[in-house]
Amino acid sequence: MRVGLFPNEGGGSYRFVIMALAAIGVLISSLPVIIVTIMSFSASDNTGFPPQALSLRWYQEVIALFTQADGSSAQSVVDATLTSLLVAVIVMSISTLVCIPLAYALTRGDRRIRTGMELLFTLPLVFPLVILGIAFLLIAESLRLDIGIWRIVIPHIALVLPFVLRNCLGAMSGIHPEIEEAAISLGASPLRAIWDVVIPLMKAGILAGLIFALIISFNEFTITFFMYTIDVSTLPIWMYSRTVSSLDPSTLALSVFIIFADIVLIVLVDKLIAGRASLF
Amino acid sequence: MITRNDHLHIDGISKNFGDVKALADIDLKIQRGSFVCLLGPSGCGKTTLLRIIAGFETATTGRLLLDGNDITQQPPHKRGFGMVFQSLALFPHMTVAQNIAYGLKLRGINGKARRERVDELLNVIQLPLIADRPVSALSGGQRQRVAIARALAIQPPLFLLDEPLSALDAKLRDSMQIELRQLQQKFGVTTILVTHDQHEAMMLADELVVMKDGAIRQSAAPATVYRHPADSFVADFLGAANLVDAGQVSGGAIQLLGRPMSIPSKHPENTHLQAAVRAEHITLRPAGASDGSAVGTILFMRDLGPLTELVVDVAGENLRVRSTNAASQGMAVGSKVSVIVDPEHVSVFAAS
Repeated sequence: MRVGLFPNEGGGSYRFVIMALAAIGVLISSLPVIIVTIMSFSASDNTGFPPQALSLRWYQEVIALFTQADGSSAQSVVDATLTSLLVAVIVMSISTLVCIPLAYALTRGDRRIRTGMELLFTLPLVFPLVILGIAFLLIAESLRLDIGIWRIVIPHIALVLPFVLRNCLGAMSGIHPEIEEAAISLGASPLRAIWDVVIPLMKAGILAGLIFALIISFNEFTITFFMYTIDVSTLPIWMYSRTVSSLDPSTLALSVFIIFADIVLIVLVDKLIAGRASLF
Repeated sequence: MITRNDHLHIDGISKNFGDVKALADIDLKIQRGSFVCLLGPSGCGKTTLLRIIAGFETATTGRLLLDGNDITQQPPHKRGFGMVFQSLALFPHMTVAQNIAYGLKLRGINGKARRERVDELLNVIQLPLIADRPVSALSGGQRQRVAIARALAIQPPLFLLDEPLSALDAKLRDSMQIELRQLQQKFGVTTILVTHDQHEAMMLADELVVMKDGAIRQSAAPATVYRHPADSFVADFLGAANLVDAGQVSGGAIQLLGRPMSIPSKHPENTHLQAAVRAEHITLRPAGASDGSAVGTILFMRDLGPLTELVVDVAGENLRVRSTNAASQGMAVGSKVSVIVDPEHVSVFAAS
């Protein structure tokens, strides 16, 4: 008989501890989502919890925000959303275009260089985000140049690169150099071999990296808070200013939309990288 | 001198990796349509030599001549050599047919011609029905055949194989060797195979090239290499040979197992010699007959079916013996036996 990997000796106390820890973990990570979702259906004007009555009025409000021109606010939610999406798409494309050749070079090149480079690209992750924000702000201000949307795009790229690179490296490491050599021996130029063989085999990792970049950039707040201007601002910044000025549940309803989109993307990532690239 | 039948001429190829000399001045002429096996222990440079021929490594010095044309500087994708890799390196995102068709696609062969060529090859490898399967769904032997078909599809002037059968289990490897040899004969393609398995090399090769430490030790037909090894390394590496001290040449005779034996030898007098005697060339008789042969004691004996494997102690030398009749003669561990060596099957070398 197979020995159970889920220990139940000692009157099932191991089992109990493991289950309790798992339950606490799930609760902590899902609590904000649950509360935000419940409160977004509140019928009252404030964010008291639990809501006294339920309604869809804040969803109507959000839809109204997007459909009616809002002249009063400095930048409308529509502009902020479009900026966020544009930033995310640019960040996603550039970081992937950088990481595919980078991952290839690091995997096929010197092992020591690879370790060093990986560390270097991971630095933004261990740096306090606030300091990173100040650093990028100082750089942007010292440029004395209006670089428009790029003042947000560039810090975002720095932030997502480690995630995209890890995924591409994970995908690359499974590709035996002999597979490329096989293509070359059959008459493919080295570039053609990469295009025909390496890229298709990296596909899952590349897509996972793309979606990661999209989610991280779209939700980024801390660095963007330092970098945004009246002309260039993102949806998280808009939501923050809206929450500060009037804490009504409409931002919560908006969050539910974003959470839903994120979940769809994360499920997609999960399906793509099953058994291939790694998240971290 | 280049003759019309020299297909590939490896002319003084050396390769250094930093301070390490992987290949030292390799000279080899490969006949058109022949099957050449590069045989040697790991680290002998055989794979490096194959990769230089394929173009995946560049030689430090020396030239490669294909039909008399210098191809030393030609990049691998322009050489058009079919290659089967140790890992087989099938493209996992393609079907069997797409794998075989890849080289044809790169050559601009499209539509009907390509499909016909793929079908032809699938028939040759006796797998006509698996064209649309993903390669992940194939068994080890099927993958092997597909890798061979993919390399042969482009009608390569040279067919290169890097230990392609090493991942198969013994029985399958045996039948694949026969199949590979038959395929090579059918296509008449000049073939170079790298292996560390001497049995495989003997099964396949027209010419056996035994390598050690980046140099060729002997290059000849397998039977010649087996019967007349050029040195003690070759004798030891191929088959089960006993290397024994043979004393000094005096009066045209050597000392073998404490007995004088006359050996036609080109070695000068007083050279210290070593003799190689194959395990199957030693005959054992029950001791007693006073025929002047050496007497030994059986230390180990095992009946393997077709033959019996023995270790016999003769004057302090442990000899490996393969006998076809030891068991039937009532020999057992501890028995005293007469050890008879046929001088015709003794190779002598200057002791290193």
